[in-house]
Amino acid sequence: MTVDATARTYMITGPEPEWWYRDLVSCLHATVGSVLARAGADPLAVLGAGWQFLHLPGDVRSEEFYYPCAEGEQGAALAPHHDLSARWWQPADEGDVWREVREALADDRLVIAAVDNFHLPFRPAYGDVHAAHLVLVWGLDERRGVVHVSDAMPPAFRGAVPIRDFLSSWGSANPIDVQDAFFSDSRIGRRCLDVRLNAQPADLTPELLGGFLRTNTEGFTTKTPARTGLAGYDVFAAELVERCRAGDAGALRELYPFGWAMQAQASLHGELLRRSGRDWGDPALAGAGRRVESVAHAWTGLRFTGAHGLADPRSAASGIAHHATRLRGAYARAVDAVGAVAARR
Amino acid sequence: MTATPVTSAITRLCDPVDISGHRNNTAVSAATETKAGEFNVWGNSFAAEYLPKGRSTVHVDGVPFLFPPVCEGPDNIRCAGQFIEVPEGRYDWVHVLAASERRCEDTVDLNFADGSVDAEALRVSDFWAAPAWFGEVKAFQSLVMHYPHHVQRGVPAVMWAQRVPVTRRADLTGILLPRNVAVHVFAVTLQRTES
Repeated sequence: MTVDATARTYMITGPEPEWWYRDLVSCLHATVGSVLARAGADPLAVLGAGWQFLHLPGDVRSEEFYYPCAEGEQGAALAPHHDLSARWWQPADEGDVWREVREALADDRLVIAAVDNFHLPFRPAYGDVHAAHLVLVWGLDERRGVVHVSDAMPPAFRGAVPIRDFLSSWGSANPIDVQDAFFSDSRIGRRCLDVRLNAQPADLTPELLGGFLRTNTEGFTTKTPARTGLAGYDVFAAELVERCRAGDAGALRELYPFGWAMQAQASLHGELLRRSGRDWGDPALAGAGRRVESVAHAWTGLRFTGAHGLADPRSAASGIAHHATRLRGAYARAVDAVGAVAARR
Repeated sequence: MTATPVTSAITRLCDPVDISGHRNNTAVSAATETKAGEFNVWGNSFAAEYLPKGRSTVHVDGVPFLFPPVCEGPDNIRCAGQFIEVPEGRYDWVHVLAASERRCEDTVDLNFADGSVDAEALRVSDFWAAPAWFGEVKAFQSLVMHYPHHVQRGVPAVMWAQRVPVTRRADLTGILLPRNVAVHVFAVTLQRTES
């Protein structure tokens, strides 16, 4: 840590934060991945260990970083097999909004901050489109009037942003924007996500991963009162199609951010299984991973059919039904493959 | 004996397919008119200055493609179940120039003269600053991304060369594209079975 009480400069120690990125993840996985990497953990092994389906009706927010979870369970939702905590917070004192950020940086912790891309000069949407996004804050220099920011999402950026711009972005109302129906219209409210890895992950072994897979498979094949697993997907998909047929554009507005969370999770889980299968000489595990990746790829068809159909949900209903069916098939094949691997002892 | 370069051997077996009647989307724009492109729902598009000349024959790994017209209207097929008729014959591969709005897998139905139909996977990686997840060849890359109101540096747009196998030993007559708006096809070339 570097602290100069008069200059009021706060920086994390060591190197600048590592960018962690995959083409199917959102800023949520990217920022949490960077925090994990800095904590000495393998982001893919942590964020790719869990795999589930969970839809919470009425919960979806128009933010790139939306991720379904029970209240206060963001860390467990992202990494159900690891001791990861994630807590949203906002500055307690409107008269000194930087206090908690200073404290975090002084404690050598990265800050994940919600922002509106419209106000950030390095984002493509700068001055053009309002959209809720996450970035990492790794330094604050109040003397020079800059915030040190890192963003792994293309175009990747690591550098200083004027405090004035950052405050506009961090405190933005993120008003409704016709150019981005999926990530605008959601107040940013100076939210931050405090992510902590409370225990170093054990080395990933076939036995340990096998236990994760059994839990994940059980989650998919056990019916619960909530919209979880394959049964929960069926309820979600049937309702989605019905809402489209009824002309409810809200269904498609929600589909895009919700689907991104499920797509990102599937892509990471599939990649981890495939990588582990290769490393351990286990082609069945690698193949199961590939089938989970196919789930992620099938989400593309559903999400983008919805995105393009937003203006006319009734016309989009047939395409939505088609891709919901394809995705259901991909889920079924993947759960079958992962279940078969998990059943081995 | 003089070895024949593999690429030229492939080239001799390849027949570009005319898909002009199916183009329904504009994915390429000029820097002076970025609003003309609408590859995705946000109106992003490839920058024409980084791509081959329109209507030219381009070679990617030895496979010739008819590059679509550029900045003259629709330049690609946004997949919506179009049926592309092809000259009836025996082929081993269907080569495509394609890009996807996110990494995507879908199927094409290969139709044969004897009435048989085979579904084969069409796998296309993301056009947005992404790796070749499915082992495609990076055919062309626009080093900047066009937005409706500006040109964005640091975000490349990629067009991939992908291929679909024709496993059936029968005469191919047509290709039914998937119903998947995320997948865009810019060119199709058939590789004949070597007799």
